[in-house]
Order: sequence, then C-alpha cells, then structure tokens
Amino acid sequence: MGRIVFAGAMSHVLDPDYYDRACGAVGRRTVVEVMAEIALMGERLSARQPDALIVVADDHLNAFSFNCVPAICVRIGRSVQRMAQDHAEAFDKVLDHMPIEYPLHEELANAILAQGVAAGFDLALSWEAPVDHAFLSPVNTLHGPRPIPPLVPIFVNAFVAPQPTARRCFAFGQHIARVVARSPWNVGIIATGGLSHFPELSLPRVGETDTVFDRKLIHWMETGEHGPLQELTADELHKSGSHEFLNWMVLLGAVTPARAAVRYFGELPRINLAAVEWSLP
Amino acid sequence: MSRYAVNSLLYRLKKDEAFRARFVANGAEALADLDLSNEERAAFLAHDMRKINELGGYLHLVMSIPGLAGH
Repeated sequence: MGRIVFAGAMSHVLDPDYYDRACGAVGRRTVVEVMAEIALMGERLSARQPDALIVVADDHLNAFSFNCVPAICVRIGRSVQRMAQDHAEAFDKVLDHMPIEYPLHEELANAILAQGVAAGFDLALSWEAPVDHAFLSPVNTLHGPRPIPPLVPIFVNAFVAPQPTARRCFAFGQHIARVVARSPWNVGIIATGGLSHFPELSLPRVGETDTVFDRKLIHWMETGEHGPLQELTADELHKSGSHEFLNWMVLLGAVTPARAAVRYFGELPRINLAAVEWSLP
Repeated sequence: MSRYAVNSLLYRLKKDEAFRARFVANGAEALADLDLSNEERAAFLAHDMRKINELGGYLHLVMSIPGLAGH
C-alpha cells in the first residue's frame, strides 16, 4: 500500500536577486531565509526516499495560451521540460540556471488522471506543457545537488477567472490521497505559491499584501481546521492576493486531517513568503 | 472576464520575439489589423501597462513582456 511520506507547501519565486531588485536588502535576506528552511524540508523529503514527487502549482500564462486554460491539468508523459523564453523577465530568469529536463512518474500521473476522470473529476491532460518557476524553483531549492525524484506536475488555474473552487481543489487532493493509497509507491507532495501578493491582480497594488488574511489561513492549517478553508471563495482569494492558495488546497485535501507546522513566515511589502510542512502519520 | 483581444495580444508580445520587435519599431503598423477598441489601441501604443491592466490585461502578462514589463 502506498503512502504520502512528505507534504510541504512554499512560496515559489525563490530568487534572491529578484527580491533584491523588488524590495532591497530586506527582500534578499527574507528570501534567503525561506530558501534555507525549504532546503531543510528537502533533506527530510529526500530521507524518506519517495518514488515520486507530486508538484501542485499554477501556470502564469506560460504553458497554456488562450486556446485553452484548464481548471486542473495533469502533466503526463515521460519527461517535462522547463519553460524556455527569450529574454525571460523577472520571475523566470532564475530558470536559466536549472536543468532543462526532468523525468516524470508516468504510472502515477496516469493513475491520478484516469482514476480521477472515472471518479468524476473532469481533468485536463497534457503531454507537452512545460513548467515554469512555480514548479522548478521549489523543486530545485528542495533538492539542491541531490537527485530529484520523478515528478507529477499538476497545474491549477489560479489566475484566469473562473477558477476552480477551493472546495473542488480540496476534493481533488482527497482523490490524490486515494490513488496513492491504492498504489505501491511512497509519494511526496508539494504545493507552491503565495502567500498574499498582488491583491486583485492589479498593477497599482503590486507591493501590497494582506497579512491578516494569511495569518487566518495559517491558523486553520496549524489547527487542522479544513472546513473553513474549503469555504474560501474566489472573491476572497482574489481580493486578498492569495490566489495561489488553491494549489495549497489540493495538498490539504491530500493530507487532511493532518496539521501544519510553519517552518517560515516572512512579511515583505511585496509578498508574504512562507514554508509549511505537515506532520504525517 | 477579461477581453480576449487584449490578452491574446499581450501573450503574443510575450512569446513572439519577432512580433515584439515589430511592435517596438512601429506599434501602429503592428496593431493595424487587430480588433482593439480605440482606448485599448492607445494604451498599447503608449506602452501604458497600468491602463492595459485596467482594461483587463492579466497581471502576469503585463509584468512579463521582455523590455515592456510594467512593475
């Protein structure tokens, strides 16, 4: 019987140079601190020798164009490439230093997809979507020079309204847990993004955060109160700038009723950086 | 819902280096055949990313076009 052996969630722009430009020395210091905690989480992940690592993250209109924006998409196939972009801006510059190709755990991805559709989740699938910083910054920060296990990238539409609901993301996470339990594999799962940044996705509000909202989310995760988290509305997530918490909702469904331990929470004017790990049985 | 014309243009500016170069060299000509309102066209020609964002351009596109990104 398979098990989820590691679960963690973290911010996904992990680039000291970016935060130095955006927030000055305090930005660099804060992201270096959160990256150090994520690296320690990665040591615990690697020690559990997972057969696969599920990565739940959002696309920033990099992989998917306007011919299709899937609500939830499972990346299948044998390998995935990092996004390539000429003169990449800001968030994705950091990709340039990362490996180009990553193996996928084809059987687990296919199981999540096929069993999910059979169970009533109308999942999208992709053989070709590349992955951007939302996937690769956390994965590389977690592993450093150690080998990266085969990945199962899962895209959640966090930005293009109408997004999937928090409740639906949680239910999909519960589905992932059932698939893993029926499998022979030990699996790690991470969710990335957030916390609060870019309220209302408005350019004039870049530089603001909603820390009160984030502390509420953290309280519910720490106490294992997953009911109110499932009640979160698209409007609340949009206004607070916690759009990417939908990724975390998938993870929460996969590990419920486990409680979270906050490894790092750092406020910046531009974003609240966080790293959280769940205590699993 | 944000306007498709605005966002598909932003996406093309982000991903299509040759089109982006044409736009920078001669914006009016590059946009000539596109279905944009006068207000949208003016915002693009002024490289006014705040206005484009107000008109429904997704934040992650207006923030990530090489050489034109609004921050």
